[in-house]
Amino acid sequence: MSGLIFAIELAYWQQTLIKVLVAAVLIPTTALILGIVFLFKMMSWMQSRMGPQEAGPRGLLQLAADGLKFLQKEDIIPDRADRFVFKAAPVVVLASTFLTYVILPAGPDLVIENLPTGIFFAMAVSSLSVVGVLMAGWASSNKYALMGGLRAGGQLIAYELPLILAVMGVVIQAGSLSMQDIVWAQADGSMFGFGGLGLPFVITQVLAFFIFMAAIQAELTQPPFDMPVAESEVVGGFHVEYTGFRFLFFFLGEFATAFAFAAIAATLFLGGWWVPGVDPNSALANVVGPIALFVKIMVVAFLIFWFRFTYPRFREDQLQRFAWKYLIPLALANITITGILVVVL
Amino acid sequence: MPKVPGMVKGLGVTFRTMVETLKPSGGPATVQYPHEKEEPSPRARGVIALHEENCTACMLCSRECPDWCIYIEAHKTLAPPRRAGGKPRQVNQLDRFAIDYSLCMYCGICVEVCPFEALFWSPEYEFSEVSIADLLHEKERLGEWMETVPDFEAYEAGSEAKGKKVPR
Amino acid sequence: MSVLAVTEVLVAQNIAFAIIALGVVVAGVRLVTTENVVHAALWLVVVLAGIAGLYILLAAEFTAIVQVLVYIGAIVVLFLFGIMLTRARLGEGETVNERMRIPALVIAVAMFGLMAYSLWGYFGSTELEVVGRSTAELGQTTAQVADSLFLTYLIPFEVVSVLLLAALTGAIVLARRD
Repeated sequence: MSGLIFAIELAYWQQTLIKVLVAAVLIPTTALILGIVFLFKMMSWMQSRMGPQEAGPRGLLQLAADGLKFLQKEDIIPDRADRFVFKAAPVVVLASTFLTYVILPAGPDLVIENLPTGIFFAMAVSSLSVVGVLMAGWASSNKYALMGGLRAGGQLIAYELPLILAVMGVVIQAGSLSMQDIVWAQADGSMFGFGGLGLPFVITQVLAFFIFMAAIQAELTQPPFDMPVAESEVVGGFHVEYTGFRFLFFFLGEFATAFAFAAIAATLFLGGWWVPGVDPNSALANVVGPIALFVKIMVVAFLIFWFRFTYPRFREDQLQRFAWKYLIPLALANITITGILVVVL
Repeated sequence: MPKVPGMVKGLGVTFRTMVETLKPSGGPATVQYPHEKEEPSPRARGVIALHEENCTACMLCSRECPDWCIYIEAHKTLAPPRRAGGKPRQVNQLDRFAIDYSLCMYCGICVEVCPFEALFWSPEYEFSEVSIADLLHEKERLGEWMETVPDFEAYEAGSEAKGKKVPR
Repeated sequence: MSVLAVTEVLVAQNIAFAIIALGVVVAGVRLVTTENVVHAALWLVVVLAGIAGLYILLAAEFTAIVQVLVYIGAIVVLFLFGIMLTRARLGEGETVNERMRIPALVIAVAMFGLMAYSLWGYFGSTELEVVGRSTAELGQTTAQVADSLFLTYLIPFEVVSVLLLAALTGAIVLARRD
């Protein structure tokens, strides 16, 4: 697939090696970009501050400096911790993020693996992070960590459902689970007979888009759904005992997952790598595609972090009620209506 | 006009703050401290300055200090008489006046209690040291801060009553 | 790679199968021998993930993903959740219920015998035909699953759903005190 761009035929193992390397570079980079642009800069501006200024030009290397600092820290494992599970937990969380990147398409040929069941695969592997979080909470041998882990477990299970159900609406409309096919469906679509802009599914699936955004907010355990890591309640939750590079793993995992979810939202609802005016079949789409996708991801990530910096924390029971009584019935209604309309029209 | 839901209003507040911060006319509420200094508010309690000539070593401040962080040493000496032909006066000559700022809690009781106008609040705040032992500042340093003490403000805006003057 | 070459794939597949199957067996043995309940649940994750890998080897990626989503993402998480809420003790070995060892062994042997018997009875010594399928065909497996679920086996599918719903309602009725 990716060999086509450079008109070079690569062996299967060479392609695989390139893909793994690209993913390995991409994940920390995207996490850094989101962390700097939104966590450091945009949050500061929204609180009438300037954010970091000293490390690098305009403080843009602050997060890299922080990462280096984490690497220097002593690796502390609590005395009564379950050592192996304690060490494995951050890896499980990061692996779940890593696998999500596999299906993200950045161009007609730029995808690590275009699985026919792409979006379904992404939902399945992102649910693996719950296991890592529960492992971290339990193995830390700390009651705050355990409570944080249990809160995270309950929250991630509850919001997995609206997330998948919201995606279902898009899948029904596109008629495919493959990320590439969903992009193509939006590129080929038309609004009231006018096909120039295609049909980004955010127009027909507004409800699903809202549910999806609310659910990924909870999946990322960030405000207003940050009870699992609430400093004032459970002093940091499941990663309270983690220091140094193990904590860095959790941090990277959180922001890389935010990027992956933003990319999924951009692909499902905003047309992914497709830009109006660029022929999706041309080689140009492989160049413009990543840029367009990046811009769209930034727009979605801006929304995610805007909500994060604005709203105060929910209460635990409000969180569950919101998921089970509002989001899931709404998502089911959305699926029913979409299904009926797809059959009728 | 229908009422805007609080959720949406909140988003508006944060967005407006961001735009305000980024506008050249607006700017952040914070100050880039080491590069530009913050303007302290009037009568800010930064550090306690000493006007040495006024001190009579009466020990009131030292005794009232809740933290016992003021050290005073003095000896009696004879000063020249006020009038020609008079008796030489007996005065307390200040040898040492030191405030341990690692103990001081900035309550200001010493400033309040001083009967001779020798202690003043200065808005100066840059007096940190690398070692905690170096926070014991002697009278020379305390005297330097006198220059940063601002003039007293009028008791009431526009009042005719004469306020106290800071000795210079 | 228009058509997966049959013999080459089989060699690679057999090696991969051997590795995964070995991992699954080891994890399965650790699952029943470990003294710590949480560790047992985590070994179960390894077993189920290995089985998902075996499904992928059989080109049944939809089943593999469902395996991950439902078994690891939901059921094992619920196990862990329940264990941690009730008896999450660290350190000293929390001994698993040992009284049921013999009945469990009997049931396991009986299940194995039943499955082996039915497989043997159905297939006997017939050799299965090895089919090489193109990648395009492999991409259609999900559609085939969907078609057979919602066309051929629609009634059984719905009956199973209703059964699950009944079980769910029953659980709620049992759990609620009022």
